[in-house]
Amino acid sequence: MTLEGCQDSSLSKKVDRFHGPSGNPFDLRVRSMNSGMDESTGVARPAPEDDAELLKRVLRGDERAMAVLFDRYSKIVYSVALRVLRDTASAEDVMQEIFMQIWRNPNSFAATKGSLGGWLAVVARNRSIDTLRRKRPSEQVEEMNLASACNLADEAERTILMERARAAVKLLPTEQRKTLEMAFFDGLTHSEIAEMTGDPLGTVKTRIRSALLTLRKAFQA
Amino acid sequence: MNIANHITPDDFYLFALQLLPDADMKSAATHLKECAACRAQLGEVQGDLVTYALTAEMRTPPSQARERLLRQVAEEKKVIPVDPVEHKIEPVLYPRNSRMFQMDAPEEREPRRFAPVMAWVGWGVAAGLAVVAGMQMNQRKLVQDDLAVATAQMSQGAAQSAQAKEVMRTLHDASAMQVAMHIPLNAGAVPKLDPEGHATYAPSTGALVFVADHLDPLQPGKTYELWLLPATAGEAPIPAGLFKPDVNGDASVVMPELPKGVTAKGFGVTVENDGGSKTPTAPIVLAGM
Repeated sequence: MTLEGCQDSSLSKKVDRFHGPSGNPFDLRVRSMNSGMDESTGVARPAPEDDAELLKRVLRGDERAMAVLFDRYSKIVYSVALRVLRDTASAEDVMQEIFMQIWRNPNSFAATKGSLGGWLAVVARNRSIDTLRRKRPSEQVEEMNLASACNLADEAERTILMERARAAVKLLPTEQRKTLEMAFFDGLTHSEIAEMTGDPLGTVKTRIRSALLTLRKAFQA
Repeated sequence: MNIANHITPDDFYLFALQLLPDADMKSAATHLKECAACRAQLGEVQGDLVTYALTAEMRTPPSQARERLLRQVAEEKKVIPVDPVEHKIEPVLYPRNSRMFQMDAPEEREPRRFAPVMAWVGWGVAAGLAVVAGMQMNQRKLVQDDLAVATAQMSQGAAQSAQAKEVMRTLHDASAMQVAMHIPLNAGAVPKLDPEGHATYAPSTGALVFVADHLDPLQPGKTYELWLLPATAGEAPIPAGLFKPDVNGDASVVMPELPKGVTAKGFGVTVENDGGSKTPTAPIVLAGM
């Protein structure tokens, strides 16, 4: 995706800029996350294995690699599914199904498609909507090709991205925010939204697009 | 949807959100296969959706979810084909006069006559394991299905048993109200065989068993409706079930849904349109106080 904030290097720069040049203990902690060295103790820690390597191990039948992927991304997948389905058992089922898809067919996500975390977040939403509508999963949308890699593997970076996304959404006009929420998390079609809100179809479509474009620009700023 | 064969900006978002009508989804998917520019644009839109997905409040999945996944992963172990290049075993070198060298020497001199055969044996074992695993999974699924059916039957049986016990309890309840119903005096001409009804009602539980006989056949679109007549003055009759008599004119209403604790002064039966009524319609067919 074209989120500058999602590029590893630029994100590191932004983090440093947020926390100030020196004297702040958070500076050390944040920089050390990207250097692989805990500078507060001076002890080198192993760099986390990247997603592509873990997927290769999954392809070879390595169950421990699946455990690492689950620990890394289960929270995102579960949270998105829970937000859509509003039912813990159903959200857990969707999460199980998605991770088992990775186990059975790790090629369904290729490294060239971009961020595994991002892919999982969108698939979690789509599968949950399918569950709501009792529809079969739509393969054509799962074959997505995210424009660039957004590193959601690192929990600290992920947290920063989430905070920025939430802050950007809060700034959206109320109508745009509600329309986007109804489309994304409630899975309502633009016709259904138009019927519920009394707005013309074209207005609903434009609101969805404008909201997401504003979100993109907020990250590019 | 398309302008000059391209997907419109609005529809990119609806496509990514799976919100387009089926026909438009298919048409957009077909176009995307051939249009690199639109694919690139869709990638950006998908990226926007990732950003928005991150706004969901983060919740930690239940701890047993991890165990559940890893258990299923272990159950579906993969059969990994042997890669002859990656898994080539490097020879271990020992000094020529060492004991290890002497022990390994015959193997080293032996030509690898059995290697291809062993490789095929490996594949054969792998294929066999895959078949067995498939059969086991299938069997497991069948057992699960049987279990689900048995559980449903048990639940149904338990419910029926509970209802039967409640019916017996009501019929044997010494404190239950017994009401015999006959044609009311003001109901008009006397039929050849007088319809009769009998209700057993336990107000504390709301349990009611009603039986009737010699009922007249109903006209199409009509039904009999039983009414509980509350003892409290001014309270409207409460619908207590719909019924139609069989060819002999017999009918019953067993354990209809009634509020608990309603004291009845009697029961009545009227003829209503199919589906029942909220208020009784004259004439009264049977009544008992």
